[in-house]
Amino acid sequence: MNGDLGADAVGFGRVVRDALASAGGDELAITAEAEPAKRGALIAPVLGELGVWDLRPREDSEEAEAAAAACRSAGWWGLPYPVAERLAKPSDLDADGLVVVADVRPTALAAGLDDLRWAAVALDGRRFTTTVLPMTDTVRKIGFAAPLALAELDAQGDGDLALALVLPIWTLLGMLDRAMALTLQHVRDREQFGQPLAAFQGVQFQLTDAEVERAGLEELAKHALWTAQTAQPGAVDDALALRLAAVEAADVVFRITHQLHGAVGFCDETTLSWISRSSQPLRRIPFGLSGTRDALTRRITTRGLSGLFGPRP
Amino acid sequence: MVSELGELRGAVRDWCRANIPADWRRAQTGVSEEEFAAFQKWWFQQLRTQGWAVPHWPAEWGGGMSVAEQAVLYSELAAHDAPRLVLQFVSIHHAAATLLGAGTDAQRQRHLPAILEGEIWAQGFSEPDAGSDLASLRTTARRDGDRFVVNGQKLWASGAKHADWCLLLARTAPDAPKRKGISYFLLDLDSPGVDVRPIRNAIGDAHFCEIFLNDVTIPEANLIGAENDGWAVAQQTLGAERGLTMLELAERLGNAGFAWLLEQCRQPAIGGGRLIDDPLVQDKVAALEIDITALRSLCRSVIDKHENGTAGPADASVVKLFYSELLQRTMDLGAQLGGLTAHTVLQKPLSSGWESGAWALDFIGSWEWTIPGGSSEIQRTIIGERGLGLPREPA
Repeated sequence: MNGDLGADAVGFGRVVRDALASAGGDELAITAEAEPAKRGALIAPVLGELGVWDLRPREDSEEAEAAAAACRSAGWWGLPYPVAERLAKPSDLDADGLVVVADVRPTALAAGLDDLRWAAVALDGRRFTTTVLPMTDTVRKIGFAAPLALAELDAQGDGDLALALVLPIWTLLGMLDRAMALTLQHVRDREQFGQPLAAFQGVQFQLTDAEVERAGLEELAKHALWTAQTAQPGAVDDALALRLAAVEAADVVFRITHQLHGAVGFCDETTLSWISRSSQPLRRIPFGLSGTRDALTRRITTRGLSGLFGPRP
Repeated sequence: MVSELGELRGAVRDWCRANIPADWRRAQTGVSEEEFAAFQKWWFQQLRTQGWAVPHWPAEWGGGMSVAEQAVLYSELAAHDAPRLVLQFVSIHHAAATLLGAGTDAQRQRHLPAILEGEIWAQGFSEPDAGSDLASLRTTARRDGDRFVVNGQKLWASGAKHADWCLLLARTAPDAPKRKGISYFLLDLDSPGVDVRPIRNAIGDAHFCEIFLNDVTIPEANLIGAENDGWAVAQQTLGAERGLTMLELAERLGNAGFAWLLEQCRQPAIGGGRLIDDPLVQDKVAALEIDITALRSLCRSVIDKHENGTAGPADASVVKLFYSELLQRTMDLGAQLGGLTAHTVLQKPLSSGWESGAWALDFIGSWEWTIPGGSSEIQRTIIGERGLGLPREPA
């Protein structure tokens, strides 16, 4: 396997992050919630100019890495736009994006983007055309999650699944990167009892627990991207294992980063509040912790994952 | 005794069935802050007609229920999904405990009956640079004859925009050691120079408020406890209160929150049957039931000990730590079981408890709980140092 993203992909990710910063950075999420109808026009052209929508991650390993890096940068800003889902679009269907759906209550983070046509794929390989239904009008537009109406198309989606599971986790990884960065800064800046919070060992240990989770997820994400892009046997198993690890890691990282931010972390004035809210649907759609574990367990049964190092001698 | 409790339970039950508005959840969903406040005040008066608004107060002030009776009352109200007293929380608990513990007769006469009539209180303790390290607060109260002139900023004053009065900690002796120079005041929020601004939080409401104090005058008569003794007053009255408020919250979690969870468990599962038919779900629900039972028992025990003077120095911290993390675990499971539907229910009724059945918002909202009233880090420090007698962390 290839253990690291290439320098070109890392550089591309940085360019995407900078471009999104210029387009508004953290303000993008705030603007999108206030004016949901504008979010597509606000974000899609910025990424289009960089060539993000021209990437073909299913066809080229370097483009897959660039796509992953772009998703991670989208996550850094808690970008209210389905970048990973667009990049996961199937090669052989006339669709602008692909979402994985559960057997019940199909949902996508696609409310109000009327110019995009979405395909969906279920874990058993069935593929669907979709209609995005309206989301409930509420104060909070967490992730712009909307129900889907599905029409079954074919059962040719096995090969589409792994990447459609993996890329949104790169978005989530970017959110964990950001939560850690924000919290490291906060505990250095914030003084209580005459010293920075960072000087308390009880604070340091919590952050190290969070970083262990985040770093472990990053390693798995690179592995699962490679098995998905190269269509290794067991790629879907790896993708589900990645999803499970990501949901678990996100629980730990956001719990700790919120706790160390204190009450201000729950307020609109802090970026963490926006990032953490936007992570919620990614952690639950199409399956949450138990649903992902159940799906993975049923697939691998007693066989286990292929793993990095092959069978033991 | 047992039969008396049984009679009380029956009376509360009958009253709940006849008097809890059937449509209050719908009516309190998406309403304005003003409608929320009006409903809360109305509901408080309904409870008051039964003598149930302040059951924990002494009898001469309108309460007088034993801990066991309070537990019966709270459990029945929760089990019947009664609206929760959200707006009056600080008034009937923190303000009352402060007045009863450290107030003068005149202060009690002025405010305790007024609270029963609907006077609302907020708490002005935290500041931008004084959260966990509350004693470093910088709001000043400068004595000027028989009054004090207050300047500073307070933060996280829940409900302050509806409040009439505020419990205020301010520094009166700037050169004294930081815990020795603080005084405790009763602040009339209608005073000139007070500016209350709401802060929108993660679930989209704005019960948190900032309070800006600009040359605000407080008469000496509204000092509570001795000048410069405010820290000790706050510790004494509110430390105990940290445990006492938990009885109602524990019964709410045990009877309302857990009931919502069971209701969620009755929903259809993927692949047929109900969620509760899944052995993993059963296992998790059973584990929570055990913890919630332990919490309810712990709360009653700590309050009993408090009333007979045998409470340990860290008991209240144990309860707060256990409750807050248990609430988070319960809401987490609710959000998991709620699945994708939970993410399309992004509105919860005001006047509900921390557990409303809108799982996605309940889960996010529950995260607050390990922070206010002393964060979990502070509770653990208290349990370590005062409970277990461990040495203080080196500075």
